[in-house]
Amino acid sequence: METLMHFLTVFSDPQLLLLVGLGTFAGVYVGAIPGLSVTMAVSILISFTFSWDVYPAISLMIGIYMGGVYGGSRTAILLNIPGAPSAIATALDGYPMAKRGEAGTAIGVTTVMSFIGGFIGIGVLALAAPFVSDFALKFQPRDYMLLAILGILLVGSLSQGSLVKGIFAGALGIAIGAVGRDPLTFAERFTFDFRLMEGGISFIAVMIGMFGVSEALLQLHHVDKDAVRQKITRIVPSLATVKKHLPLSVQTSTIGVTIGALPGTGGDIAALMAYDHAKRVTKNPDREFGDGAMEGLVAPETANNAAVGGAFIPMMTLGIPGDAVTAIMIGALFIHGLNPGPMLMIDQPDMFWFIVGCLVMANCFMLLFGLTGIKLFTKIVEMPRSVLIPLIMLLSIVGAFAVNNSITDVYWMLGFGVFGYFMRHYGYPLGPVILGVILSRLLDDNWRRAIISEREDLGNFFAGVFGSPLSTVLLIAVVLIFVSQTPVWAWGKSRIFAKKENT
Amino acid sequence: MKRYLIGAISALALTATTVAAEYPEKEIQGIIQWGAGGSTDTVMRSVTPHAEAALGGTVVMQNMTGAVGAIALNYVADAEADGYTVLMGAENPMLYKIMGLGDKDYGEFVPINILARGTPLLVANNDAPFNSYSEMIAYVKENPGTVRFGSTGPGGLPSVVTAMINAVEGELDVIAVPYDGDGPALTGLQGGAIDVMPAVLGAAIEGVRAGNMKALAVFDTAENDKLPGVEAVAEVNDGYNTYLPWGPFFGVFVPKGTPDDAVAKLSAAYAEGAKNPEFIELMEGRGFTLMGISGDEAEAFLSKWQQGTAWLLQDAGLTKASPEEFGIARPGE
Repeated sequence: METLMHFLTVFSDPQLLLLVGLGTFAGVYVGAIPGLSVTMAVSILISFTFSWDVYPAISLMIGIYMGGVYGGSRTAILLNIPGAPSAIATALDGYPMAKRGEAGTAIGVTTVMSFIGGFIGIGVLALAAPFVSDFALKFQPRDYMLLAILGILLVGSLSQGSLVKGIFAGALGIAIGAVGRDPLTFAERFTFDFRLMEGGISFIAVMIGMFGVSEALLQLHHVDKDAVRQKITRIVPSLATVKKHLPLSVQTSTIGVTIGALPGTGGDIAALMAYDHAKRVTKNPDREFGDGAMEGLVAPETANNAAVGGAFIPMMTLGIPGDAVTAIMIGALFIHGLNPGPMLMIDQPDMFWFIVGCLVMANCFMLLFGLTGIKLFTKIVEMPRSVLIPLIMLLSIVGAFAVNNSITDVYWMLGFGVFGYFMRHYGYPLGPVILGVILSRLLDDNWRRAIISEREDLGNFFAGVFGSPLSTVLLIAVVLIFVSQTPVWAWGKSRIFAKKENT
Repeated sequence: MKRYLIGAISALALTATTVAAEYPEKEIQGIIQWGAGGSTDTVMRSVTPHAEAALGGTVVMQNMTGAVGAIALNYVADAEADGYTVLMGAENPMLYKIMGLGDKDYGEFVPINILARGTPLLVANNDAPFNSYSEMIAYVKENPGTVRFGSTGPGGLPSVVTAMINAVEGELDVIAVPYDGDGPALTGLQGGAIDVMPAVLGAAIEGVRAGNMKALAVFDTAENDKLPGVEAVAEVNDGYNTYLPWGPFFGVFVPKGTPDDAVAKLSAAYAEGAKNPEFIELMEGRGFTLMGISGDEAEAFLSKWQQGTAWLLQDAGLTKASPEEFGIARPGE
């Protein structure tokens, strides 16, 4: 009964309700603008809400978080510029839909699916948090490494066209991620003794450049062509559409919650893995993936919103952040006089249920704000290109600067923009570059941690892998997915099926 | 003409004095050396609003991360010394020179306030085959090369604590597994990826309270009242008294050459802010020892800290350049 009371706190207090709504609304727009990130918004809010009570402060932050994760899909669909790293996969199929004039449908499906994903994430948080966090703690460095390898195998799904070019792009991404002072030993890598390279290359700057600027440059080819008129008659997807994709969305939400709950991995990796999963399980998509398949929207969007609930799991049960935003929220709770840690659930269970309540509310507001105002958003893509292109450039520059208030990042961003333009021109996919940058540290750090723990003995390392069921399962998944992408698989499959026919 | 000139000069002088008297006349930029949500960030964001009230001005705080905080340090050092750019940092810059991370340290700054100091704590995974510091030392000596210690790279707290143990107890054969921060390392500790982690008390205390990890020892001269019954290393081995008390600290700094008026006002404001009961409660709850020192006292603290730590790391062979090269004298010389 008391639990229910705390859960309902946010629903019964108009001030809190307003703050969650305000936060979600702001979050959708913060998320939609590339470079303005939820992490940034929440850390600004820490100072801003210092003198407030803890409930209103947390309400506002949760609203921004939920709205922001969803908002990233907006620009991904409309402009092919993901507003946040977790929306990269959304652009792959969302933008082709917008090009065909179906931006309204794409946004509608995205919104409803984000809502479903968000709820599954919250549900797992509310009902199974201690269980999931125990599972997440079991991940050893070698498991994170295997997970990163699993992620790198996504290059296959992300490279439309030539796989070789995809692998090249992925490798480039991993190299970009390695630049700067190594966080484990402080040794300089690929810095060529330039001080400005010591801090590494900002991953957000690479993303904005590769997607934003290169898109603007590419659009220059069609400056005189008219923009596609968008059909916005049907925004809310039909019940049949939702029903059709429900099984997939449950699967991808599960991926989202799990990856979100692992400390060190977040919505970006979850969305990409979910996209890959959808590509593998969908037998006959209405349209090919990369050409506007609905499944290609459903998967990443359910996963990244489910990852929000997931990220709160280790935060609430152990005081360990599930991602960058929850790390800041832990700081916020501390500033407000709470002791975020494993005792929080025992000392202050009200906080847990209050946060669950806020998340539910924010998720509902997200649906509301997502389905309204679409008309206004689709107008953006209908703007003449001579207005749109400078606007994209402006947003890219502001976004790149805002990440670290660093002009160096703007130069990196512009450089990668021009580079990305030529990559596209010659048919190199950009998705794998970003994938490589995201996974570079995860792979590198955890491989070193794993092998250092075994005193650099490969024999002991593999003994560890096969001694743990979790590692073994991950290794088998890596091997299976790898083999399934090689000709050996097709050959083996045809042999087996051929035999069956003979008998 | 002459009269005009005198008039103009006196007018200028007048405006100049009024401007100086009114410091701060615009927003002050506070550069936090570490990321949002980290301990430096939380400490600064909790004390600054109270200091703002005392100062009657606004401090806009901003996180500037990268290169172990050197980017933020260089940014503030290169900014105009007018009291409008303030560095909010931790102990790391004192080791930049010897670790080859930069050519500047707090020597180029005036300390406004050294707010607080943390106490290092040795924690272990619950399944580790030892329950106290003495048992751990005995176990490591019997089983060389099997115990995994978490670390956060050369110059970080774990490396200093490990160097201290090696200096006092003789070389211990342990595996140092590097993590990028004490948060991830403590997560790894709970999952069994590492066995022992030297961490600041505040970061580990909630985990110890909940029984998710066990405390082996506090690195202090006496037991800590937050953790009764956990032995203090100096009581176990007298050799530690040479180095303790030692701990990471948090402080607010402005570049050298900042007008005295601004330094005085900022120092007064932060001294006042650090006295706020809410702030004190917050810091004590996290096991920090409040210091609140400034001026000569802070300078003396900084140079003593630097001497002790730099030579400890030098003797452990972890440095890139000898402290001697930068005129950092061996403690006691």
